[in-house]
Amino acid sequence: MNQFSAKVCILGDFAVGKTSTVERFVNNQFSEKYLTTIGVKIDTKDVSLSGDVTLKLVLWDVAGTDRFSGVEFAYLRGASGYILVADGTRSRTISAVRTLKEQSFDRYGELPSVFLLNKADLTREWEVSDEDQRRLSEEFANVYVTSAKTGDNVTAALGRLGEMIAERDFPKTQ
Amino acid sequence: MTFPESVRSYLESDYSTQRRPFCFQIDSDCRVLDWWGDADNYGLGGLTAGDDMVDRAPFLIGHLGADAEKLPFVTTGNGTVEVHIFPEGDRYFVIVMDASDEHRFHQQRQQTANELRLLHAAQQRLIARQRALIGDLVEAKTELEHRRKEAERANESKSEFIAMMSHEFRTPLSSIVNYADLALEDDTSVENIRKSAEAISRAARHMNRLVETVLDEARLEAGQVRLHETPFELNRLLDDIATIMAPLAAEKQLSFGIYLEDRVPEMVVADDACLRQILINLLGNAIKFTESGGVRLDVSWADDVLRVAVVDTGPGIAIEDQERIFDAFERAADTSAGGTPGTGLGLTITLGLARLMRGEIDLVSERGEGCKVTVMVPAPASAETPAEETALPEPAIEYRAMRPATILVCDDDEDLLALAEYYLLRAGYGMLIARDGREAVDKALAYSPDLVLMDINTPRLPGSDAASELRAKGFKAPIIALTASDIRKLDMKTFTNSLRKPIQMPRLLARIQDHL
Ligand SMILES: Nc1nc2c(ncn2[C@@H]2O[C@H](COP(=O)(O)OP(=O)(O)O)[C@@H](O)[C@H]2O)c(=O)[nH]1
Ligand SMILES: [Mg+2]
Repeated sequence: MNQFSAKVCILGDFAVGKTSTVERFVNNQFSEKYLTTIGVKIDTKDVSLSGDVTLKLVLWDVAGTDRFSGVEFAYLRGASGYILVADGTRSRTISAVRTLKEQSFDRYGELPSVFLLNKADLTREWEVSDEDQRRLSEEFANVYVTSAKTGDNVTAALGRLGEMIAERDFPKTQ
Repeated sequence: MTFPESVRSYLESDYSTQRRPFCFQIDSDCRVLDWWGDADNYGLGGLTAGDDMVDRAPFLIGHLGADAEKLPFVTTGNGTVEVHIFPEGDRYFVIVMDASDEHRFHQQRQQTANELRLLHAAQQRLIARQRALIGDLVEAKTELEHRRKEAERANESKSEFIAMMSHEFRTPLSSIVNYADLALEDDTSVENIRKSAEAISRAARHMNRLVETVLDEARLEAGQVRLHETPFELNRLLDDIATIMAPLAAEKQLSFGIYLEDRVPEMVVADDACLRQILINLLGNAIKFTESGGVRLDVSWADDVLRVAVVDTGPGIAIEDQERIFDAFERAADTSAGGTPGTGLGLTITLGLARLMRGEIDLVSERGEGCKVTVMVPAPASAETPAEETALPEPAIEYRAMRPATILVCDDDEDLLALAEYYLLRAGYGMLIARDGREAVDKALAYSPDLVLMDINTPRLPGSDAASELRAKGFKAPIIALTASDIRKLDMKTFTNSLRKPIQMPRLLARIQDHL
């Protein structure tokens, strides 16, 4: 059995569900309570890939951008991929993702990434039209409409990222 | 500045009490070499040299580079720490320090700020939704108001229509009532009864036409009228139209003309009855509303579309009235202001018929400038040659004239004259017309007709006197009396025979044959 580790950073505006997504992915739990993340919260999860390969994802849940301090770019160093998260009930969070992605790509180069349009369970408050969604899919590769609350698409999205990282960083294992 | 040993150790102990630093040294494969400090505080107790630190300190992944690094708030399962990484040759010194107090402080401050921002976002969303709701409400209200107004307008139009119809009906109805009363008076003359009956018949026919018009409109609106597209001779239709319209125009001393472009094909395929109705309506309207000048019908044809334009020099239609003039139950000419009364249905029917024929109507007019109504209907040219026979029913073969003969008809009833003319001419007889007894005597003596049909109640000289005078002057040909009164009162030495009104044309023709 081959064991690899990869650092993955989760980027997005505050309260879009970054922490909740990790919590769902790692511990299969969800909490309605909002607790602001400060700095970075680190969790790990092993994902099994094809060919009897296990990839240890080290998930860096990086605090959302805020008015007092921008994202701490030191946290992003050495990442192998990004999980970009936006909140479908606040369409403005999509442009935050756009900015974060540009800044991190500028600094650390282009990396595999998935885009999570989160809170899919809140259909009544949903602000992103089908047309907007279609355009998102053109702009970002691997767009997933997810819900940390119900768990919809979370594993699929993160699993996909794991595959992409493995293909890029550990090609011999494939 | 150099610190005394006491100050230095105080600072050191205070710093280490608060930050509780833990240091460890790793090689480039992330294996621990040695360590110092409070390992248990960070869940790193029980280390053995050579342990792989990737699992126990996952934050190292990706951060073992050439430069020193500081990661301010790193939260793992064992609390929040500040991490410092110093590369030293092929090793790394890592220092972790407790940052939970500072983290808590920042967390609380940021929590409040973020919750406020979330609240604000939720508020914005509520406001937006409220705005949308208000928008919907206003729209719904406007729509309702619009519907209410339309219903009111429709109601008004219907009332106006009923008022108009009762006005239209009142004239013929009052003449029916009056003439019926006159006929029923004890001492009324036969002539009065006849006159009354004629007037009543006229009024009834007029009312019948009104009802027909309304029914036509209703049928059109209900979509019950079907198109019957057949090849027909356009000229013949226009001749008929001229026959109907020219006298109406002449009565009002208006000029009337039909102008046919050269290109117009002889035969076209369309519903001729529809077209006929459209032309009668439009020309009838034009003549009705025009007081001086004239009415013209221009007919042209191009690309399988027949274009008929009725142009008049009447009062015209104000721009603001033009849109609704084709609405059922409405008309532009205001009867209240003394305009010519009449139902507005004619135009609605015209529009309905034009649409039925898949055509269009175009109206160009201005107040005081006359009016031009153009109807365009698809009417492809037909290769068929015009049929020779007339469209009207022929009299039955047995009533055809046996030999050439001229009949003199004396009557003052135009309807009867027209009817007699139609049947006599088509049966093959020549015909002379006299509208009173005097004229009948003069024409009979001048032209020696083969037979005379004589109405008894003729103006100037009563029919019976005219007949006696003719006999006295040696007129030998048969004279057949036409009368609505008792035949027994007639002098049968003067008259050869008699027919009772109302006259049935086959019987008239049979009677004529009997005496020729
Ligand atoms: N209904 C719903 N709420 C969610 C979802 N994901 C996160 N939340 C809630 O959104 C708030 C912010 O989530 P969090 O994960 O802390 O956002 P972060 O700031 O991006 O880490 C919390 O109250 C969560 O309970 C989701 O998929 N559905
Ligand atoms: Mg968070």
